[in-house]
Amino acid sequence: MSDWVALLSFGPDGWGLALLQGAWITLSVAVVTLPFGLALGLAVALAFRSSSPFWRTAATLYTTVFRGLPELLTLYIIYFGIQLLVEHLIKLAGLQSQFSISPFLAGVVALGLVLAAFSAEVWLGAFNALHKGQVEGASALGLGRFQTFRHIVWPQLLRAALPGLGNNWMVLLKETSLVSVITLQDTMFIATRANVVTKEPFLFFGAAASIYLFFSIVSSIGLWALERRSARGFAPVGRQA
Amino acid sequence: MKRLLIGSLIAATVLATGVVQSQAQQKEWKEIRIGTEGAYPPFNNLNAKKELEGFEIDYANALCAKMQVKCTWVVQDWDGIIPALLSNKYDVIVAGMNATDERKKRVDFTSVYTRTPISMAGAKSVASTDVSPDALKGKTIGAQASTIHMNFLEAHYKGSTARGYPTQEEANLDLLNGRLDYIVADRLSLEDFIKGKGKDCCKIVADVKRDPTIHGPGVAMAIRKEDTALRDKLNAAIDASQKDGSLDAIGKKWLGFAPIQ
Repeated sequence: MSDWVALLSFGPDGWGLALLQGAWITLSVAVVTLPFGLALGLAVALAFRSSSPFWRTAATLYTTVFRGLPELLTLYIIYFGIQLLVEHLIKLAGLQSQFSISPFLAGVVALGLVLAAFSAEVWLGAFNALHKGQVEGASALGLGRFQTFRHIVWPQLLRAALPGLGNNWMVLLKETSLVSVITLQDTMFIATRANVVTKEPFLFFGAAASIYLFFSIVSSIGLWALERRSARGFAPVGRQA
Repeated sequence: MKRLLIGSLIAATVLATGVVQSQAQQKEWKEIRIGTEGAYPPFNNLNAKKELEGFEIDYANALCAKMQVKCTWVVQDWDGIIPALLSNKYDVIVAGMNATDERKKRVDFTSVYTRTPISMAGAKSVASTDVSPDALKGKTIGAQASTIHMNFLEAHYKGSTARGYPTQEEANLDLLNGRLDYIVADRLSLEDFIKGKGKDCCKIVADVKRDPTIHGPGVAMAIRKEDTALRDKLNAAIDASQKDGSLDAIGKKWLGFAPIQ
């Protein structure tokens, strides 16, 4: 047991520092992906609700593809496929330079596209929960489109969307483990490499599990606080704590 | 309009920081990027300081010094290791990869620099040393997926159940907990396991006879087919290392014996 402590330590033979660095990568990928995924998801939801059949079809195609493909496949397509495509285009243009998509960007793009597809459905549900009278009342008061969105629509939208979006965030945290296959040294990558060298699977997979659980618990607390704030002024319904 | 401009500027900056423009590698080859798995001790693995170490790391670095080129290492999971080479993420693979005919369809190989025996490991209670396909009929045998060992099982051991694992370590674990009856792998890798975790449960049963069409001539470095200049450069360095004994010296340090058996 005592050598377990030594293996997790921060000394020269301890994997503690490597695990923390892996946890940082996991967190960075998730945090950078989040705003892009949510914003793109909102855009796709608006496309779903648009009057133009072109945008509606485009939105349907997008969510079907990115919810249907396994995230690992999407990641491979972005990391290897885009690179091959761009290099082919560069060759066609007759240029010589080399192009290399960084694994961090590939991970963020792939996970962002998937997050957007799942979030779009959540935003759509939130739009449906919004009472039509709210927007009509705002226009009757003379509020412009952006003002209506900012003061009336957005807070209520957020309140309805938060549980679903919080769910998507938790899934995103777990999905970041896939970037270990495109050379990003995240928590799972370090845990598997440490296991190979030290042959202590329970210790290192347990450590990885603790890291993910830690992020998960902190996220849950944060989401609970956000939900409480967004529901201020309303009678408490649904989850209490 | 202003927002659109600012937005596209931000997008362009993000794109630019994400795109890593590597130097144009003219056929000079002053810098070589090497891809490896980092999960196959004693050939290549990561230590606690996240540095690569192992027989192949020392050997390739020695070759780079001899060729007077600057070498950088990239750690890539096994399943994506050839696609990454073909997508130009690095220039050569040094990862205990056997030069099989199947792989030769996609990539080129240098001269062989390692050829070690392939063995089957099993429980300590196994009495016979017969590991022919008839003797192992009905047994469950494990190997690392996408390797020559897996191909070997699928081709010759049709009467047994073959199981593939993402890394060798996971196959070792299943032998330890009894899910597998045997595992087949490079003997060195198995000895590494038997000396450590597998001390009490398992032993090396016997060597398997190499099938040249499946196992290939041995372990070599993989390069893209169009990089003939790089291949010649590497072959010259490998031949020189065999003649001056540096290959054997590094091999003895990490493997305990000369790498080409």
